[in-house]
Amino acid sequence: MISLDRVTKSYMTLTGRKVVFRDLSFDIPDDVNVGLIGRNGAGKTTLMRLLGAADLPDSGNIITRGRLSWPVGLRGSLQKKLTGRENVKFACRIHGIRRKEMQQKICYVQEFADIGDHFDLPVSTYSSGMIARVAFGTSMAFDFDYYLIDEVMAVGDASFKRKSQQVFKERLQHAKVILVSHNMRLIEDMCDVIVHLADGHATVYKNVRRGIAVYEKAGGER
Amino acid sequence: MHRTTARSHFQIQRDVIYALLLQELTSTFGKSRGGFMWVLIEPIAHLLVPMFIFGFIRQALVPGVEYPVFLVYGFLPFLLFKSVCLQMVNGVNAAQGLLSYRQVQLMDVFIAKAIAYAVIQTVVFAIVLTGLAMFGYDVLPPHPVEFAAVLALTIMLAFGLGLVLAAFASLVPDARQVIQVMFMPLYFASGILFPVTRFPDEWVGWMAVNPVLHLVELTRAMAIDGYEPMKFLSITYPVVLALTSTVIGLMLYRLRYLERVTR
Repeated sequence: MISLDRVTKSYMTLTGRKVVFRDLSFDIPDDVNVGLIGRNGAGKTTLMRLLGAADLPDSGNIITRGRLSWPVGLRGSLQKKLTGRENVKFACRIHGIRRKEMQQKICYVQEFADIGDHFDLPVSTYSSGMIARVAFGTSMAFDFDYYLIDEVMAVGDASFKRKSQQVFKERLQHAKVILVSHNMRLIEDMCDVIVHLADGHATVYKNVRRGIAVYEKAGGER
Repeated sequence: MHRTTARSHFQIQRDVIYALLLQELTSTFGKSRGGFMWVLIEPIAHLLVPMFIFGFIRQALVPGVEYPVFLVYGFLPFLLFKSVCLQMVNGVNAAQGLLSYRQVQLMDVFIAKAIAYAVIQTVVFAIVLTGLAMFGYDVLPPHPVEFAAVLALTIMLAFGLGLVLAAFASLVPDARQVIQVMFMPLYFASGILFPVTRFPDEWVGWMAVNPVLHLVELTRAMAIDGYEPMKFLSITYPVVLALTSTVIGLMLYRLRYLERVTR
C-alpha cells in the first residue's frame, strides 16, 4: 500500500521556485505493479525520489508499507567518483551487509552487468548503457518488496534488455515494481495499474490500456 | 538473501557513517600512492617558503622560539580548521548522489566528512612534526592533553561554523566561491607567519575578533615551551563560539535550510 496525502514539492532554481506538485493525493492498492507515465518534466523522477525517501516533500505525507528500493535511475544512486565495484560495496555497507555476503553481491552484480574491466573504473567513464547495467544489477542484488525503476530498462542493448526483463520477471513473483518508462509495450507487459502524471496531478487507471490511451492522446509518444 | 533482521536507527546511522568514512578515506589514502602524497606535499610546500624567507631573521621574529616550530604550530591548526570547514560548505553538493539511499541522511555526510578530514589533517600534522623532530627541532608539546583539547576545539568550531556557512551557501548563489576565497585573508589575519605580539595592542584588539587567531595562539601556548601568546587571548571566546555555531548549525539543519540546493 502506497498512499500520498496532500504532497507538495518544489525546487529552488536560478529563475525562482518551481512547484512540481501541489497537494498531490492518490493511493496505490496493494500487490500491483505500477506504471508511472507522463511527459518529460511531468515529475516522474521527483515522485520516484519522494517514494524512495531520497528527497523529502515540502509538506504532506507519504505512507509506504514494505521495503522499497532506492530509486534506480541513470542519475543519482551511482557515485561518479567511485568504481562500479566500490558502488556495490557502498550499497552493501549502508544496508549492513559485510564480508561474505558482500562478496556474493559483488559477484552477482559483476556477472549481471558484464562490463568487463570497466567494473573497476570510475562510473564517470561509463556509457549510459553501462550505468544502466550496474545500477539495475545492484538493485537486483538486494531483496525488496518494491523496486523503483526509473527508465534504466529502456537503455542498453538488446542482450541487456532481454536479461534484465528475465531477471525482473523472476523477481516479480515475490515483489512489485513501480516502473517509469516511455516504452509503452514494457509498461503494458509489466504493470497492472497506471499512474499518469500531468500538470502536477496524478490520475490512477486500473485499466492499463485506458491509461496508456489517455497519455498518448495527451501527446505522449509511444 | 537480504538480511531481514531490522536494524535500529542507531545501527543504521553507524553503518552509514562507517561506509561514508571508508569511502572518504580510501579516496584519499587508498587509490594510488599519489593520493596521500598530494595531501602532504601541499602543506609542506606551503611551509617551506616562509621558513626559507624568515629563516634568516628568525632570531628577531619570535624571541626564544625557533621559527619553523612557531610556523608549523600555527599553519597546521589553521589547515585543520580550513579543511574541515570547507568540507562542510561543499558537503551538500558532494552528497547529492549519496542521498538517493534512504539510509543516508545529510547529517551523516557532514559527520563522516568532519571525521575523515580531522583524521587526515591530524596525520599530516603528525608527519610534519616528526619531520621537524628529525631535523633536530624540539617539537614535543609540554602540555599534550591541553594541546589535544585545543585541536578538538578547532575541529568543533570548524564543524559548527561550517554548518552555518553551508546553510548560507545553499541560500545565496555564489556564496560557496566567496567563502573559499575568504580563507586567504583569514590566513593572514590569524597570525600564522608573523607573531601578532609585534603589532600594537590596538590592532591586536581588533584582530582578536577572529576566533581562528585564538585557536592558533592557544595551540602554540600549549605546544611550544616558553611561548608568550598574544594579549587578549581567550579560551572562552572560541569555546562559546564553537558551541553556539554548532547549535545554530544544527537548528538550520533541522529547519532544512541545508537541503535547499539551488539547481
